[in-house]
Amino acid sequence: MIFFNIWSVLHWYVRPFVKWFLRKTTRLCELQRICYGDKAGAQRTCNVEKSLILSRTKDVKEVIAFLDAVVVERRFIPENFDDILYPSISIIMRTKKIDNKLHPTFAPSFRQCLQQIWSYKQLIDEVEDLRCTQYDYQNSTHEEKLLKLWNLLQPHEPLEERISKQWQDIGFQGDDPKTDFRGMGLLGLENLLFFATIYPQVSSHVLSHSRHPKYGYTYAIVGINLTSMAYYLLQDGSAKTYMFNAKHYLPNIDLFHRFYCYLFFEFDKMWIESKPENIMEFSMIFKKFENAVRSKLTDPASVFRIKIEIDNI
Amino acid sequence: MGFLTILKKLRQKEKEMRILMLGLDNAGKTTILKRFNGEPIDTISPTLGFNIKTLEHKGYKLNIWDVGGQKSLRSYWKNYFESTDGVAWVVDSADPRRLADCARELHALLREERLAGATLLVLANKADLPGALTLQEIREALDLDSIKSHHWRIVRCSAVTGENLLEGMDWMLDDIASRIFTLD
Repeated sequence: MIFFNIWSVLHWYVRPFVKWFLRKTTRLCELQRICYGDKAGAQRTCNVEKSLILSRTKDVKEVIAFLDAVVVERRFIPENFDDILYPSISIIMRTKKIDNKLHPTFAPSFRQCLQQIWSYKQLIDEVEDLRCTQYDYQNSTHEEKLLKLWNLLQPHEPLEERISKQWQDIGFQGDDPKTDFRGMGLLGLENLLFFATIYPQVSSHVLSHSRHPKYGYTYAIVGINLTSMAYYLLQDGSAKTYMFNAKHYLPNIDLFHRFYCYLFFEFDKMWIESKPENIMEFSMIFKKFENAVRSKLTDPASVFRIKIEIDNI
Repeated sequence: MGFLTILKKLRQKEKEMRILMLGLDNAGKTTILKRFNGEPIDTISPTLGFNIKTLEHKGYKLNIWDVGGQKSLRSYWKNYFESTDGVAWVVDSADPRRLADCARELHALLREERLAGATLLVLANKADLPGALTLQEIREALDLDSIKSHHWRIVRCSAVTGENLLEGMDWMLDDIASRIFTLD
């Protein structure tokens, strides 16, 4: 602990000299060294973010404050990227004396990093909004979503009544799912719905596992616990590895849902492989799963894909 | 002196107590536990399996076991009965529809041999919600006055506002202490 404190104080004083030295020897500023030297994705974007946060340059600080304000207004969306990012990047390039003609590859690479960093920040706010929205049985949109979930997961079993024991077939606790969403609010329902909509085969595969006579579990309740895990991983920044390494998507609500689907698929796999004695082992296996996910997320080179193999358990 | 006796002596020295939190699903067991432990209570998911918290209160070391309440888990409750000093039975005061269910589970629990002698605290939770039943209504619905086998008390409380939670817990701890630590 003491070592850590000394190091952070030293780091604060030494950093500018190291940067100055590297700038003189490489003739590149820190942002350029990151954009050219680090692999695109989590490694590059996280280092750019770190460099920007630590910057003591007034102009850089102002650009950060401006982008943060855009996020607060929820205007950091692809349609606005040109208007928002062009001036921001110009200011930083002027401050850092980066000539666009000499370094044509810097701006696009740096822009990609900025898009990811501030999309992630905005995503945290959007996810929080959904989580804070309580499931409301008087809201017809909420009710429609719930019924849609039933139809996607149980296409051949019509729901006989809105309040019904049938809900337990897809792993809710009782005869009315509304109270099960609790602290995760609408986010829990949206996650389940996305999984069933975008990956119908995978979700029905996982659902069938959850009904295994020996290793069964409650599908929807496990799903809501996984929403909670995904939510915390997003909040504390651990999910950046996943989000920034996703090649074709920027961090947005769909990517969050995809992250959730990945977690669900992987959890199901670990659960079945663990051959649990009974459902009371859930807390332990869930913790073990979280540790495994966290350790994978600390490696910036990790890639996350749902690898579907048809198994016969 | 047998091994168990030594264990018992050790336990007395540390003033350790084992509390079991039970009740139907959505009663608020985890929320009460987190509130009691000073943790945030706004991001709780349904409990599958169980949570354990060890905390110090009034000089006692409390091991609190919060076990999930959904129907499919109730058959596993018995795995947690051994050497339980107190049971906190949590009731959702705003859910009259399931009170009969709640009463049946409670009375089945009290017939358990391994819980004989344990103190029973009934926490009538969610008292802050509109439509919450009164203490008397819950007392009658759960037929508490017929309980002769255990020391019991009912407290109207709210995990969200924190109202009466400590009072209830303190009563239970005092009752347990007067029973198991009197030889000190």
